Amino acid sequence: MLQALASLVMDSPLNQWIAATYWLWPVLEITHFIGLSLLLGGLIIMDLRLAGHVRALSPVAIHSLLPIIILGFVMNFGSGILFFFGDPMRYAINIGFQVKMVLVGVAGLNAAFYYWKLHPVMHSWTVDSVSPPIAKVVAYTSLFTWLGVLLCGRLIPYVGTG
Amino acid sequence: MFTWLENTAVAIWVAESLYGYPFLLALHVVGLAVVVGIFLMRDLRLLGLFRTLDIAAFMPLSRMAWVGFIVNAISGFMLFTSQATTFVNNTAFLLKISCIIVGMILAGVIQSRLRGELAGAGGNPALTQSTKIIAFISLLVWVSAIITGRLIAYT
Repeated sequence: MLQALASLVMDSPLNQWIAATYWLWPVLEITHFIGLSLLLGGLIIMDLRLAGHVRALSPVAIHSLLPIIILGFVMNFGSGILFFFGDPMRYAINIGFQVKMVLVGVAGLNAAFYYWKLHPVMHSWTVDSVSPPIAKVVAYTSLFTWLGVLLCGRLIPYVGTG
Repeated sequence: MFTWLENTAVAIWVAESLYGYPFLLALHVVGLAVVVGIFLMRDLRLLGLFRTLDIAAFMPLSRMAWVGFIVNAISGFMLFTSQATTFVNNTAFLLKISCIIVGMILAGVIQSRLRGELAGAGGNPALTQSTKIIAFISLLVWVSAIITGRLIAYT
């Protein structure tokens, strides 16, 4: 699927523009790293509270982090798409990139489950409520899949084809 | 001194083993997410975003950021040894290190200020203007650390 997408993108005007614009790649990298800091920074705090740590936070208050987490994700989704357009063949066959995309998908499903199932009931939680097991599962799934996303992403230049 | 560093056993392992460099880079990006992620959230909170988050919570979270910093100081130093003479002449690298030093000093200043302000007012103290200004500088410094860090490979 990724290969088909890559051949579709290859030699498109956007592909040629990114490849020819020497300053764009470092700008995209900087955007991607600032985005990951916003995304992970917000998620670490949210997930730790969801798992029952950092009790000084009210469980309802952590929802105020959602906009910054989404901003970080949008920054990285946008810069990520441009990375792929800039060098499609390299990413499509890279095992690090392939696993990273699967993990982003898992994290997305986990976030959707949180949003539809947990978020609505959390308003009744108090500072002293014990996190139910399902909340812990969602929180640690989120932390570990994003850890995996970080590791796979960083290793893209060092791993081979899948 | 930097030539000597490049020839230590650690430097040679980082430079020549198949897994040394990528392993340390992977560790370094996890540390970055923890340190910069938590400090950015703290600074944004002090600047007035997500006001419902209790400022007191950033005391234990900052300790976690310090752990991330130690991980990155060690992984960063090991990465540095492998090409010490190159890095030490790289402007972007020197700027990055300066930003990190300033950022960590400001983290200490913010922590001691919050400790004082929290002691007087419970979980959500009214912040002084100067604390907000320090938080804003801290925010700029961490973003600059990321920018200059990314530019090391291009300078």
